[in-house]
Amino acid sequence: VSATLGQSAFPAGAPAEEARAARARPVAIPVGGGKGGVGKTFLVANLATALARAGHRVVAADADLEGANLHTCVGVVDPGPSLADFVAGRTDDVRSLLVDTPIANLRILAATHGNFGMAQPEQADRVRLMRQLRELDADFVLVDLGAGTHPAVIDYFMIGEAGIVVITPEPTSLENAYAFLRAAFYRRLQLAMLSHRVREVVALAMDERNERGIRTPLDLLREVRAIDPAEGARFVETMRAFRPRLVVNEARTAEDVKLGFSVRSVCRKFFGIEAEYLGYVNHDEAARRSVRNRRPVVEAEPRSDAAIYIQRVARKLVELGRPEAAESEP
Amino acid sequence: VKPLFEQDHYEVLEIPRDAGADRVERAYRLILSTYGEDSLAGYSVVHAADAAAIRERVETAYRVLSDDAARRSYDASLADARLAAAPSPPEEEELAEPGAAAPEPFEDLDEGGDYDGARLRRARLRRGLDFEEIARKTKVNPSYLGFIEEERYADLPPRVYVRGFVMAYAACLGLDPLAVAASYMRRYDAERPRQRRRFSRGS
Repeated sequence: VSATLGQSAFPAGAPAEEARAARARPVAIPVGGGKGGVGKTFLVANLATALARAGHRVVAADADLEGANLHTCVGVVDPGPSLADFVAGRTDDVRSLLVDTPIANLRILAATHGNFGMAQPEQADRVRLMRQLRELDADFVLVDLGAGTHPAVIDYFMIGEAGIVVITPEPTSLENAYAFLRAAFYRRLQLAMLSHRVREVVALAMDERNERGIRTPLDLLREVRAIDPAEGARFVETMRAFRPRLVVNEARTAEDVKLGFSVRSVCRKFFGIEAEYLGYVNHDEAARRSVRNRRPVVEAEPRSDAAIYIQRVARKLVELGRPEAAESEP
Repeated sequence: VKPLFEQDHYEVLEIPRDAGADRVERAYRLILSTYGEDSLAGYSVVHAADAAAIRERVETAYRVLSDDAARRSYDASLADARLAAAPSPPEEEELAEPGAAAPEPFEDLDEGGDYDGARLRRARLRRGLDFEEIARKTKVNPSYLGFIEEERYADLPPRVYVRGFVMAYAACLGLDPLAVAASYMRRYDAERPRQRRRFSRGS
């Protein structure tokens, strides 16, 4: 083991072994954010690499079928087998689709490559895919989500209770991030609520311009409580279990760094959702260079600003470990 | 999960009940800027009327919690009210304090090496400090702080001042001033002769 920064920054070796023995299934971390171009794929590639360099066995899965390029970010030019084979029914076993990368301990599940006509996986496919991803023989499974709030995207956010939402300091990013959080939470609620009437109200609330004026999860909770107090209690339970994590990307100023705390406050006050501010990655030319060179920045320039911040976030993921609630099936 | 008007002052400021004066101050500033008139964080969710209502609640909360006597009597009234009700669940352990230093709950990842400009900037951002704040505390001109981070040595005053600035800056970040200055000035001494002034300093 060379004493590079990335490795020394983590409890590598024996602690990684211990952590592995302690859990049978991988920690599954979906990474979304609503808006395209905020750095989801960049973050997945680099967090996965940082974890892999620390001795954890990592799988990074690309669920962004329309902008699939996770493989490129980790230096795999032509992944060969991909998620497309799973969706098309050519194989039923995700394990057979994992591809090695130039980075030790890191494998990827690539999305389709040059197949424009590929259909989105049906919901049943997505559920099957998520189940298999959660059963992989790995320590961490990171899932790169596409943009938008379509069920085909947000369903993947349910693979773990503590998915990451990536934001950049721009109104467009925040608008999409809040829409994403709301959609992800409502989707979860729909599955958790038992009463038909309540599920209907949740469906109604998913339309932001609904006629009942339900704007936020807290408004919705009021409605649900009025219909059925028992469902209200289930609602609160679901709310408590939902712990999205925030990462601010492209931070340039102290103000940008504080944005994560501010978003956390808005989530708490307006959504009733406890988000966690995991960290930030600053704007760094080294990041841009690394994408051009198709090598994660934590590997190519581990002493760059961006790499140091990413490793800090990765270290936090290790410390936080597996959330208890990750067991629930979507 | 309580609406704003039912929240107590601590909940409004999102701090635990034993928060010290420092924490009250930071939380107040953070929430005020979060719900400021053109705050980025609330975009698309927080309407102007909501933001105004929150600011008003926050001002009241701050007025009480930042005044020792007022806070003591408020705490007593909370305790009385709670005798009747069931005890509230303990505060969730905070991973990161609002506005504090950083979302970094663990020890600093000490990347080692020299205290160069980039490392100072990282330390500063981690603490959520901008140049103006540091300038207020250190009395060092904010543009000099910027030059120190950018290692624009030629734009800085003579060496003896630079060393003083770096020490003041380091102290403000909670770093060891002597160690930081020694490391920074080593780079300065090696690099300074090679730099010409890049920009005119203006008047």
